[in-house]
Amino acid sequence: MQVTQNVAELCSLLIDELHGELPSRIFRALLSRGRATLPQLCQYTGMSALQLRHGVAVLLQHNLLYYQIDDGHAMYEANAEFAYNLVRTGKILEMIETSFGPPAKDVMQSLLASGQTRVADLVAAYQEKINHLNSAMQQDDDEDFPDLKANGVNGHPHAAKKCDPMVKSTAQLNSIICRLVEAELIDVVHSKTFQSQPDVVKALEKEVTDKHFPGGVKGGRGKIEFQEKMAEALRKVRSESKSLKRKLEQNGTAAKRRKLFAGVAAANGTNGTTNGVHDEELDPALDPKQVIRINYEKCLVDLRNRRLVHFVSETIGDATSHVYGVLLRLLTKQLPRCRLDPSMDVNQDGEAVDAEPKAVTTAQILDNLKTAVDLSLGIGKTAMKEISSKSAEKISEFPPKPKLFIAEAEVDGEASADESDEGSSSDESGYDSDFKNQPASATNGTKVTFADGDDNPWQRMGRPGQLRQHLLLLAESNQHFVRHCGHDEWTVDFEPLMRTLREAELDAVIERTSGRQGLRLVRILRANGKLDEKALMNVALMRKAEVQQKVVQMQKAGFVQIQEVPRDNKSDVKKSFFLWFCDVDKSYIKLADNSYKSMIRCLQVLEVLRQKEKDVLMLTRRTDVKGREKDVMRKEYYDRYSRFQENERKLFAQVMRLDDFIALVRDF
Amino acid sequence: MSGRGGRGGRGGRGGGGFGRGGSRGIAANTVPWNADPDVSIDGKPSELFPPFDVPRATPLTKKEDRQVSCFLLFREQCHDSPLYTEGRTWNTSLHGGKRAYSQDQDNERYGRTSKATVDPFTAVPTYSSQKFVQAKRALPDLGSRPFCKEFFPPELHATLDGEDTPSGPGSKRRRTGPKTLGLSNITSLRTAEELFLADGEHIYQANGEGAGLNKAMQVISSLEKRTEEGEDDGFLSGDEDDWVRGEGEEDAENLDDPDQYDDEASDDDYNAEQYFEDGGSDKEYDEGGGDDGGDYM
Repeated sequence: MQVTQNVAELCSLLIDELHGELPSRIFRALLSRGRATLPQLCQYTGMSALQLRHGVAVLLQHNLLYYQIDDGHAMYEANAEFAYNLVRTGKILEMIETSFGPPAKDVMQSLLASGQTRVADLVAAYQEKINHLNSAMQQDDDEDFPDLKANGVNGHPHAAKKCDPMVKSTAQLNSIICRLVEAELIDVVHSKTFQSQPDVVKALEKEVTDKHFPGGVKGGRGKIEFQEKMAEALRKVRSESKSLKRKLEQNGTAAKRRKLFAGVAAANGTNGTTNGVHDEELDPALDPKQVIRINYEKCLVDLRNRRLVHFVSETIGDATSHVYGVLLRLLTKQLPRCRLDPSMDVNQDGEAVDAEPKAVTTAQILDNLKTAVDLSLGIGKTAMKEISSKSAEKISEFPPKPKLFIAEAEVDGEASADESDEGSSSDESGYDSDFKNQPASATNGTKVTFADGDDNPWQRMGRPGQLRQHLLLLAESNQHFVRHCGHDEWTVDFEPLMRTLREAELDAVIERTSGRQGLRLVRILRANGKLDEKALMNVALMRKAEVQQKVVQMQKAGFVQIQEVPRDNKSDVKKSFFLWFCDVDKSYIKLADNSYKSMIRCLQVLEVLRQKEKDVLMLTRRTDVKGREKDVMRKEYYDRYSRFQENERKLFAQVMRLDDFIALVRDF
Repeated sequence: MSGRGGRGGRGGRGGGGFGRGGSRGIAANTVPWNADPDVSIDGKPSELFPPFDVPRATPLTKKEDRQVSCFLLFREQCHDSPLYTEGRTWNTSLHGGKRAYSQDQDNERYGRTSKATVDPFTAVPTYSSQKFVQAKRALPDLGSRPFCKEFFPPELHATLDGEDTPSGPGSKRRRTGPKTLGLSNITSLRTAEELFLADGEHIYQANGEGAGLNKAMQVISSLEKRTEEGEDDGFLSGDEDDWVRGEGEEDAENLDDPDQYDDEASDDDYNAEQYFEDGGSDKEYDEGGGDDGGDYM
């Protein structure tokens, strides 16, 4: 993650929002000045050593710093990635709540709020909470008129009855942690966690050289060998954080337990503990000495799945999106991160190292799909004979390295090799395919035609058949959500898919800011590469003034770029060519930076609002007012307070929306 | 847009202003727009406030609403934890809006709240302000919870033990018993509106049935009691239809209670004494913090 000025400011604002001013100031200084020791920090920030020690300890506890010990002095370095991820907390917690149930969310929330935690400490804390509630419950049972005795009793019985603890026993806690560990959402803190990536690389480089290349790395072959060894070593370090998961899987019952977990998750929300307790006993006790923390990488994978499902539900339909959700969940179970790390996951030929062919069969999806999902909805009702089953059932065994679209081949001969850089070719095809694929897919019959013919076979078709129809629908969509990679086997090519999604998002932004004409010009530029102004005019069939105005406007926004090519050696400005072109990656970077800035503005506006309503907010913080604002406060004050709260929610929602965009552009 | 228009009013917008001032005296073809016959410029100044379509964000979807709630709840929990320092020393009224361009300027923005900047109208200690306003912590209360020390550099270990106080190690009362990680008691975020709607309905309903009078009395009595004890944070916790609860689970906020409430609190009969022996010691930080960290008050 590249730390620009805006990112730095955003991170420190986020930390200020969540953890207070003291850590935020230290973090800001570390981001702007680079790694530093405590005395250096003292000098930078003008704070006392005592404050710094406390602030740094808090930051470390929340995993927001790296450190390395040099000559007995620790050098601290900011971990901007984790700091930025704070903004995603809401999304991650919501995601865990929906897919693992409220108790799991509660555990994750406690873990996030307290930073890295030893399993034993977490268990003890929950035990204590449960004991409280139990004792309170006990009193409730003993006393018929608790309010008479209420003065001496701390646990209010009425309250205790109502507040079922989220986590009912340590066994349940254990099982929740097991589940989260198996889902890789929680990983283990180990000795190298607090070393920044460059430090780890440096240390390993030294180690590898000493061990395997005592005479130094020589020649092209030696270099390749060295890189392979390095990648291996790096992977080994990285996999250290998964030790707990490996241990759990060693018990061999992972799959079986997971099935039971599904039952627990379903049961927890609704009926009582009996079911849950029964299953939890199957879980192995976790090593209490292990220290755990959240694994943002895997959280991002899950967030990406949700994003894709949402996208499908918007473009195709609800039932199909449910199918897609199950497919993605099965497919990404073992996927540790969204993007491969070029330094360790990719070999010399640019291929993923441990890319075992992953595919999900129709039967697997059917097993995991909830029966509540009505699959008969959202699929077409074309008569069988009108379908060319050959093209509908086409199996494409390999990822779309060869050209996907007809249009692509015409435009660009090297399209197949061009897949990895987000070249103009695929963009153009995306825009062209709207027109070209339409008739083709209509013949495939999975397009919804709503012909209510009595003789249609789809109603008689069983659930597996309907499921297949949904999958075929996904496979033949323009965005290629799914690839039919074998008989009844399905997979997703995330890279091209996400690229399509990113471009769709970029196009939406361009359309909003520069209008349809601007979008058209951008697409023309993407399709044709670099164009002179005159050529652009001719292709776009627009007047010169209009073209100029639009293009300049878009250049300011960063959607198109300009290049000056002198005609001769003198490089006379009047005589040189000016070529317009469109660099998608640059647009992303520019847009992302703008989004960071808008996020900063949102948080700053919030701070201004706080200052404005300072007196009201101070009042609401009083312990006798908190929670009873409406009752205690005067109406005008209360109105101001609720308006502030409303604005606060809106601002945070806006920040999260902006983060959606950034996640798509940067992380997914 | 409107901001730009505002500045443009003084003719400061590059070409426009220039063209207005001296376009008559410039020979043809010396300025780029004269070289191009298609471009015509009008010398008029730009409009001061050009019409601008202010984009409005769409209202929150249900999912977003839940996400924001999760975030706000998480924030509440964070603010509730002993690691949080609420104290703000950035006095915006003094340096409001000023941008900081260097580290020094940035540093100068902080440490601005001191005894000299307090509001004389609200700062006079009163009964209610002492009783109900929680003291702000200037330093995190690290000693109250366990840490995994092996992952911290050795220079911080004393700090993590809570022995790193201004007056030096050993001066502070030793904490006894095992430290426990306090879990926040704020388990749900509720707007006051929801709280009172739900509760009001609840009481009326109960009264209507006739059998609920007892319950309503209970509600009132507990309310009074809570007010006396000054531990109302439990109100924030709770589930959907009843807020009169939360004393059963002891508030971790009690850690932050001023010392004088310790006596009352430790009469409680559940097993959390160590909270009160250990926890309510923020005062010491506050007093001590004055020596070298005078800017935190």
